[in-house]
Amino acid sequence: MCYQCCDWFKQHRPHLVEKRDSNGLNMEGAVDSDTSSITTEEPQTEAKPSSDQVTNTETDSISNTEDAATDNSQSDSGEFVVTMLAKAKLEEQGLGVKGRSSPLLEAGTQDMPAYMSHREEDVTAESWRQHRKHVFVLSEAGKPIYSRYGSEEALSSTMGVMMALVSFVQTSDNIIRSVYSDEHTVVFLQKGPLVLVCVSCTRQSEQQLRGELMYVYYQIISMLTQASISRIFEHKKNYDLRRLLAGSEKILDGLLNLVDSDPSFLLGAVHCLPLAASLRDSLSQILQKAITSNLVFSILIAKNQLLTIVQEKTVIEDARLEPADVHLLLNLIGASSAFQAGEIWTPICLPLFNPDCYFYAYISYLDPPECTVCLLLLSTDKEAFYAVAECKRKIEEAMTAQNSLSLIDKAQSYSVSQVGVSDLRHFMYKPFDVPDNYRQLSQFTSPEMEAPYSSEEEKTRLLDLYRYMHSRIHSTSRPLKLIYHVAEKETMLAWVTSKFELYTCFSPLVTKACAITAITKLLRWIKKEEDRLFIRYPPKYSTTPNPSKSSRSSKSDQQDSTDNGFLSLL
Amino acid sequence: MPEVSKLKKPDVKLVLLGDMNVGKTSLLHRYTERKFKDTVSTVGGAFFLKQWGPYNISIWDTAGREQFHGLGSMYCRGAAAIILTYDVTNWQSLVELEERFLSLTDTANHDCIYAVVGNKADLTDLTAQLPQTSDLGDQTKSEESQVLSACPTPPASPVSISGVLLRKQVTHDDAVALYGRILRYKCLDEKSTLPAEKMCFETSAKTGYNVDSLFETLFDLLLPSILRKRNENQESPTVDLEDCRTSGGKRGKASCC
Ligand SMILES: Nc1nc2c(ncn2[C@@H]2O[C@H](COP(=O)(O)OP(=O)(O)OP(=O)(O)O)[C@@H](O)[C@H]2O)c(=O)[nH]1
Ligand SMILES: [Mg+2]
Repeated sequence: MCYQCCDWFKQHRPHLVEKRDSNGLNMEGAVDSDTSSITTEEPQTEAKPSSDQVTNTETDSISNTEDAATDNSQSDSGEFVVTMLAKAKLEEQGLGVKGRSSPLLEAGTQDMPAYMSHREEDVTAESWRQHRKHVFVLSEAGKPIYSRYGSEEALSSTMGVMMALVSFVQTSDNIIRSVYSDEHTVVFLQKGPLVLVCVSCTRQSEQQLRGELMYVYYQIISMLTQASISRIFEHKKNYDLRRLLAGSEKILDGLLNLVDSDPSFLLGAVHCLPLAASLRDSLSQILQKAITSNLVFSILIAKNQLLTIVQEKTVIEDARLEPADVHLLLNLIGASSAFQAGEIWTPICLPLFNPDCYFYAYISYLDPPECTVCLLLLSTDKEAFYAVAECKRKIEEAMTAQNSLSLIDKAQSYSVSQVGVSDLRHFMYKPFDVPDNYRQLSQFTSPEMEAPYSSEEEKTRLLDLYRYMHSRIHSTSRPLKLIYHVAEKETMLAWVTSKFELYTCFSPLVTKACAITAITKLLRWIKKEEDRLFIRYPPKYSTTPNPSKSSRSSKSDQQDSTDNGFLSLL
Repeated sequence: MPEVSKLKKPDVKLVLLGDMNVGKTSLLHRYTERKFKDTVSTVGGAFFLKQWGPYNISIWDTAGREQFHGLGSMYCRGAAAIILTYDVTNWQSLVELEERFLSLTDTANHDCIYAVVGNKADLTDLTAQLPQTSDLGDQTKSEESQVLSACPTPPASPVSISGVLLRKQVTHDDAVALYGRILRYKCLDEKSTLPAEKMCFETSAKTGYNVDSLFETLFDLLLPSILRKRNENQESPTVDLEDCRTSGGKRGKASCC
């Protein structure tokens, strides 16, 4: 086992202490065959796009072959970490257990009766321990706030141990970042008074796991705001934050499921529904015309994907809407089927836009009872419900007049076969050169996952391969620009340039030369289709005569909205 | 005809308040959809426009979670009726009504009607396990009631429906006492306002027990407000909220019903 402990402030290069487990366990046993085949990866040398190429000589980054700077003063806490984790029963399985199912399968959910919610799971059961990815949130005082599986109460001792870990390392001015065992990666993230912990047996990189914890943190902020969380814990160190988050577990559960199944989170980009440019423009114009003062964003969503976003001019000059904020909004809508009835008016904070202020979101479905087309209008004015609801009526009218709903209904994702490149099975393409880019949302495009990636297991396996490629491309110690990776059942090629980031998946028999030609064709196809695949020129409107009224720039106006009134209940 | 929908201006506003999980969304759903189904804890508030005869009643189903505390007074602004909901099996839910929700009603109309509603009565009372046949002639039966009528077991042994009865933590008298305190908080005279017997309900969103009766009673009581508001709207095309509030007499209401 090894653990990694890093000085938060210097943060140059993580100190890494390596400690071999006494029985010198071979990792192969625990690794499923596909991921282990990653070691067959070979350096890519004669690819055509060679100008950007970096030769990769590393054979396997998964095992502990990275340079280790031994730091004796830390090895005691290393022991401590290991024993504490063992006590917390996070690590018990593994070494001797044979016939363990693939870590890619969510073992727990199989054994569990469908009617039983994850929250009622027996946390002492083997199935609980075998979940692919656990996520815990606790307060600095060690109070449980959230657990993905099992109730927080049942896990309070485990969380106590985690907090002991965090504070133990803190006493020596360090911040605990991660703990590795043969099967698990434990990643810690401290944000203000909250500590987030991920225990994963996926083979994701620490960086990726930390990114996922950030999303969890942001989702909590989106409900409570950063300012009020700080104020609460300043006021009362051992406050039980579950009081304020009660009822929101489903939103966090939903987020973690999305993070596991939707590559948008990995890429930090939004996926929009392919739509004829003329239709997208006409929808944007409808939104652009239905405005009221203090309205800042109008967003149209179909089948959980973006159709269009129209933004208030002055606000967007201030700051752009970040993909992560859009992801949180989409998750909020998806996780609350209650939204399908009535018109919702709710405060929501967009943490990357401004972590301390609320927007007020109007959410309504335009096509009841199917409820696939959703309108989201964001205002800075808490009292604006009726004015904003009136905008919806206008939008509804205009859409009826233009028959938009039935046109939207026909829109769908595309098949990779439309690209017309044999051997290409799937891809994800994220351009950096969208016009008006610096004010524009990052986007990516990707076809449906089709055979052989139709089953949940295969989808997950492909996503895991993408995650692996992504972690290599974005490795902090040795970033790569091009990876050609021959796996057992497919061949993967990832390529990042100043203009785009591309991940492709080919049938295993493809040759390198073929793959390069295929990519050239693919890029040409995307170029041809880009008006349909992306929101090209996000329209703007002007609703705010006085720019200082925007949620971001005037904090004094909005002071009352930072805590949404719940602080008075403390 | 989009023009018509545009003209659908709500006549009065009704607000559901109460702690999370007491069953506000379920009650409204039972009344409007005649069904009891899985709910998700409400986020913020959900606005519905309910057609009641020729009238449009706007209903706010609010979130009970503390997280949304600050919005309560906004939802209650200008309300003509407020349903304060608790869970009969949970004493704390009644306490919360007084501690957390009552002050939110400060923005309601001066002549606002209050109902105190104890939901989940099916868990504690045998009678509430049977759906009340609606006296409105609404024959649409819920899934539960179909199950019930198909069930050969006589009403005397309803244990088969929900298993063991739970202990009732809040009695009808507790609710009546709370109603009295609400009137005092509002500085209303108990004699001239609606009697507690009439305004304290025990319901079950699950079986439908008393649910229609709750909403229909309230709507009937709101009729004078609706008519008055329509009148005012005809007299002066511009509606002044302040005006509405001051002219709404407490007295007129009680005598109307
Ligand atoms: N047995 C029984 N359960 C009920 C009844 N009404 C609601 N429930 C259950 O209580 C839970 C909460 O119901 P909701 O209607 O969502 O509660 P709410 O008051 O809207 O909660 P918030 O939206 O969080 O404020 C759900 O699991 C319902 O199934 C009832 O009359 N009887
Ligand atoms: Mg609700």
